[in-house]
Amino acid sequence: MSIPTLYIVVQFLRGPGESWAHFAQYLLPIYLRNSLYLLLACGVLTILIGVGTAWISTRYEFPLRRSLEWLLILPLAIPSYITAFAYAGVFDYGGSLELLARGLGLEMPKLDIMNIYGLIFILSVSLYPYVYVACRAFFMHQSQNLLEAAQVLGDSERRSFFRLILPISRPAIVGGVVLVAMEVLNDYGAAKYYGINTFTTGIFKSWLDYQEPITAVYLAALLLVIIFGLLLWEQLQQGRKRYTSGTKDRKRLVRIRPRSTRRCFFTLLVALPVILGFIIPVAQLIYWAFLAFDVINWSDIFTMVWHSLTIATLAAACCVCFAVALLFTSQWNHLRSINKLAKFGVLGYAIPGAVIAVGVYVPSLFFEKWLIGVVKTTFSFKIGLFLTGTTVALVYAYMVRFLAVAHNPIAAGKQKIQATLSEASQSLGKNPVATFFKIELPLLRTALLSAFILVFIDVMKELPLTLILKPFYLKTLAVEAYQYASDERVIESAFPALMIILTGVLPVIFLNRLVRQD
Amino acid sequence: MNRTLIFLLLLATVIGCKPAAEDTSEEQAVVNVYTHRHYDVDQQLFEQFESETGIKVNVVNADAGELIQKMEAEGEESPADVLITVDAGRLAKAKSSGLLQAVNSTTLEQNIPGYLIDTDKQWFAVTKRARVIVYAKDRVQPEQLSTYEALTEDQWQDKVLIRSSSNIYNQSLLASIIANKGEEAARGWATEMVDNMARTPKGNDRDQVKAVVAGEGDVAVVNTYYIGRLLNSEDPEEKRAGEGVNIFFPNQDDRGTHINISGAGVAKYAPNRENAIRFIEFLSSKPAQEVFAQANYEYPVHPEVAPSELLQSWGEFKEDKLPLSQLGEYNKLANLVFDAVGWP
Repeated sequence: MSIPTLYIVVQFLRGPGESWAHFAQYLLPIYLRNSLYLLLACGVLTILIGVGTAWISTRYEFPLRRSLEWLLILPLAIPSYITAFAYAGVFDYGGSLELLARGLGLEMPKLDIMNIYGLIFILSVSLYPYVYVACRAFFMHQSQNLLEAAQVLGDSERRSFFRLILPISRPAIVGGVVLVAMEVLNDYGAAKYYGINTFTTGIFKSWLDYQEPITAVYLAALLLVIIFGLLLWEQLQQGRKRYTSGTKDRKRLVRIRPRSTRRCFFTLLVALPVILGFIIPVAQLIYWAFLAFDVINWSDIFTMVWHSLTIATLAAACCVCFAVALLFTSQWNHLRSINKLAKFGVLGYAIPGAVIAVGVYVPSLFFEKWLIGVVKTTFSFKIGLFLTGTTVALVYAYMVRFLAVAHNPIAAGKQKIQATLSEASQSLGKNPVATFFKIELPLLRTALLSAFILVFIDVMKELPLTLILKPFYLKTLAVEAYQYASDERVIESAFPALMIILTGVLPVIFLNRLVRQD
Repeated sequence: MNRTLIFLLLLATVIGCKPAAEDTSEEQAVVNVYTHRHYDVDQQLFEQFESETGIKVNVVNADAGELIQKMEAEGEESPADVLITVDAGRLAKAKSSGLLQAVNSTTLEQNIPGYLIDTDKQWFAVTKRARVIVYAKDRVQPEQLSTYEALTEDQWQDKVLIRSSSNIYNQSLLASIIANKGEEAARGWATEMVDNMARTPKGNDRDQVKAVVAGEGDVAVVNTYYIGRLLNSEDPEEKRAGEGVNIFFPNQDDRGTHINISGAGVAKYAPNRENAIRFIEFLSSKPAQEVFAQANYEYPVHPEVAPSELLQSWGEFKEDKLPLSQLGEYNKLANLVFDAVGWP
């Protein structure tokens, strides 16, 4: 799983390409500034939105709460580049906002969204659910006892939230925000369209415009160093603190019913991210799809949906199995080194999809060619490109890229299982593997399914990696939507985009029911 | 739970691998096409080729840069027969990376004018577009315009709209200026263009046109193709944007208007070389050129095929007949100049 990362590290050690000096002089400062700015601003915004909505919707009772609870996750179903295109369409000349204003007889000042602030806004409203989901699960199950204790000791509601709940939910917040950060760094489509040069657009530039994969790899490695630094810093900050709950009976959080004005305010507040991150872009897409209705090729759409669904299912299943294997083999064998290795493998999420694609493509091609040669000389039999010519390489690359997405919820779920349970099982004579199937796997059911669904949605949306590694016959929704959009036919791309959203929304609803039942 | 997962996994594996198995078992005549173009008209022509010749067309759609990287990595094992890209700069890159091979075909040489063919016959243009200046109908008189160079005049201070330098059309435009007038002149032009920009470059060619109509600037440098798309858009507002500007063909009194091409070349290690040549010959043939001309707002390359009515209504113009291979030669230099003058 670490082969692509290692390949990049090896290439890094070989030194940069000939244009490196040029890059360092003119472009690197811009990349650094923009990327860090995006990271920081999106981090703060997603925490604000994610934690805020999670707390309000788990702690308080207000109108429409049950619907809003799952609606809040929906922005995850839209690839951020599609949100970006849709918002450009809203604020454009002749865009929806202008039409609306014209209809109402108002004069609208021209609002320009295609700048770095716009990009921060787009990325924040489409990525906050990562924080929201992580925090909500935590608040629901972990905070009641603590809250009761604090309030018995005389703390106010506000004080106990800021002094107690917020610090204790740190692992959940960090888990979510790390995912946000990695998505921000990986974003290509939105940043490119809005004309913001980031590390990732730089990687594409050096690789595609300058034809210097080595410089691209060098940039990617630099990015890795930054991410590694951030993770390390977080680990150091967390120090040796342990976050496990001691009690056996985890109570559900009890809801409070605030005053009616406050209730309505809460509804509005919680609905806002949903409107901005989901309803507005989807409405714009539906409008476009409506305009393009006559030119839709239904049999193509059907093929795309089918291909996308199968490849996403396959990749998600592989990711979940592998993540479980990683988490538990270290426990069974008491090998701490595997734990470290797992951290390394999980880093794949931080590497831009395009770079992973190179990291997967070159080594697997090397292996294939070697094997083709061997088979040809020994059996005089031609086997063709059995990895890169099929979905194997693609699924492998998805696994490298999305292992973290599967790893985090399962790891969090595993942390919640009390060690005493499996200790009991083992002291009753079951070996660790039997214990795993009898005790831990059933307890992890929800975590596994959430992991599966999260990877599934990510694969549905994934673009750069799929573009490079997809075999001849594969047509996915994300690829087709992007190709229409990048060819400046954004209207025609609306329907495939809506299909991505639909295939993402259904599992999200399912995921929510699951979390609630648990 | 884990049983469900295992079942899903097995199911997906079976489905995922099925087409691959089919591919190896068949011995049908095929041509594998790596293309940057993803237009419905191409699909239509591929199908027509299939039904005429019985040769199946397999398509990989991706960005040209990615396709070139892919072919380079695959080397001798590459399944690619034909590479199609938009813009000559990219074809020249593929050629200089040793990914294409020379083709001697009288059919191709009859169908396509010489300056639209690579000097070593490694690639052939199949369609053309012109990179023109569009201006706001209500604010600009065509007499104010003359050349790309004249856009750096003071009268266009903060009035010029053009997209980012990461776009290949701009890279080729600058490469053509380097080829025609030398690096220093090109650097000077790029510097002054940046000074005259109405805003930081962003969005695509359509967005530049919309910005002109919205009054953010007065003139924009865009491809004719996108004006055609705007005027025929399903979105009435886009149509209005297209109608708000006029087209001006620059540099008519000297070297001519810069053109981009879409072109095709036979891959160096093409497993189906003969089919590949037949395929490109088909694309350059009169019937196929007529389809290109009518359906996609591009200029045909075949001299006997007339452009669509819309394109004819913009008038005839003089093209810059610079050998297009030079766009590739100067591409990297153009990129370096863009970065150095701070054209984002």
